[in-house]
Amino acid sequence: MSAFFRIIKFASQHFIRNFWLSLATVSILVLTLLTLDILLVLNLTASAALKNIENRVDVSASFKIGTEESDVQNAVSYLRSLVEVKDVVLNTPEEILTEFKTKHADNATILSSLDEVGENPFGYRLVIRANSVDNYPLILEALDNPSFRDKIEAKNFSDHEALLTKLSDVTNKIHLFGFLLFAIFLSIAVLIVLNTVRVTIFVHREEIAIMRLVGATGWFIRAPYLVEAAAFSFLAVLISAAIIVPIVLTLDPFFASYFESAVRFKDFFIGQAPLVFGLEFVGAALVCLGSTALAMRKYLRV
Amino acid sequence: MSLTTMEDMIRLKNVSKIYSPNVAALQNISLHIKPGELVSVVGQSGTGKTTLAKLLFAEEQPTQGEVIIGGWDISRIKPAEVPYLRRQLGVVFQDYKLLSKKTVFENIAFALEAVGTGTRRINETVSQVLKIVNLADCGQRYPCQLSGGEQQRVAIARALIHKPKIIVADEPTGNLDTINTHEIVNLLKKINEFGTTVVLVTHNRDVVNHLHRRVITLSDGQIISDEEEGRYRL
Repeated sequence: MSAFFRIIKFASQHFIRNFWLSLATVSILVLTLLTLDILLVLNLTASAALKNIENRVDVSASFKIGTEESDVQNAVSYLRSLVEVKDVVLNTPEEILTEFKTKHADNATILSSLDEVGENPFGYRLVIRANSVDNYPLILEALDNPSFRDKIEAKNFSDHEALLTKLSDVTNKIHLFGFLLFAIFLSIAVLIVLNTVRVTIFVHREEIAIMRLVGATGWFIRAPYLVEAAAFSFLAVLISAAIIVPIVLTLDPFFASYFESAVRFKDFFIGQAPLVFGLEFVGAALVCLGSTALAMRKYLRV
Repeated sequence: MSLTTMEDMIRLKNVSKIYSPNVAALQNISLHIKPGELVSVVGQSGTGKTTLAKLLFAEEQPTQGEVIIGGWDISRIKPAEVPYLRRQLGVVFQDYKLLSKKTVFENIAFALEAVGTGTRRINETVSQVLKIVNLADCGQRYPCQLSGGEQQRVAIARALIHKPKIIVADEPTGNLDTINTHEIVNLLKKINEFGTTVVLVTHNRDVVNHLHRRVITLSDGQIISDEEEGRYRL
């Protein structure tokens, strides 16, 4: 037990006596973790944006005026039986007319033209949503079914493909840039941890020599450096969490309203905090411990 | 392995130490030191005295031959075993090797802290050892506040802290004036009288002649004389 507390004591001494170096090490680790957090935020936002747009994609099929409801119901049943189809909404001619009138309530010309036509100019309409945007071509093919193909007057695919592609492209670029930034910070972090341990070993060279002389085991000499590395990681995660959590909590209501609750940073960073920050700690600790082990192997003779 | 069970405390058999590329610090040395002996190893600079001392506390490995320290075969010792050997040895250097930012008490305690001794035991043992070296009142002073002789006594106290069976002192009086030199030599004699084997590496003629003990003389990495009650003859 004494040995354990002494290892903690020596590790604290290493940290405090090289305070500015320790601060630089923790700072670069914080920057690395913040980059990772920002990447996570971007990923959540991009996923929410893609989902939001995907939800707006649908295929509508307008049936000819006078088509029997039973024929339309057959088409609905057939489409609902397809695994690619998520949802089929049936609009009656009356509903479409009401919707049309509401939409053009301010336009007297359009409304008067309806009066001139005299009867309801709309037929039944199906609004079909797929499970995935990739399934729309199959649904369009399904609408060519001979049993109701001739009764369909028009098919309208509200194609957001271009927007989706563009968004996906931008997201990928942001991811790539983020990962590059992360990789750069990670490399700098490894180099700084290596150098910190090297300097710490140099500063404590007399103590290390005496420890060896009086019979301290290699493990006892090395352990404080490993504890210090773990402390660097813990502090870095703590500081980065203290920075990122208030930011995401501030942004959360804006994003939630914009994306219709599809994205909730709060759920991710607060609800899953033990997992998110725990994994960040494990990752940072692995990097620091690995760098420390490398530095000790190279510079610490025990 | 216990040191007390051995007939010879230190045994070297045909030991050579060659530093690359081709510098022979020690050549085919053989010697035996019994428990409780006080042996001076003398010789001019560069004759291999310090290399011999380093072999004794496993800082160096012999290139050839066998070095047995209280049953530990240094020539075959595993790195993980070295700390346990060193806990049975005390080493004293010319430059004291004290930590300037630690007090006298902390410097000595550090040797026990490094091997995981409990705090209460440290306090007791350090106080006892400080009394032995006559520095009971200096525990809270820093090395820079002590004379050279006092600093060396702190180093000896640290070497004694594990109650070693062997003390290896490499030029312990090299930085000291005559009065302090005699104080340190008398202290080493006192430690030897308690039964500790002392190997004193020195080139101080007066010290060797004053001791009237066994003297091993080295020249060019070889033993040129080994006398039971020897004198400094170089």
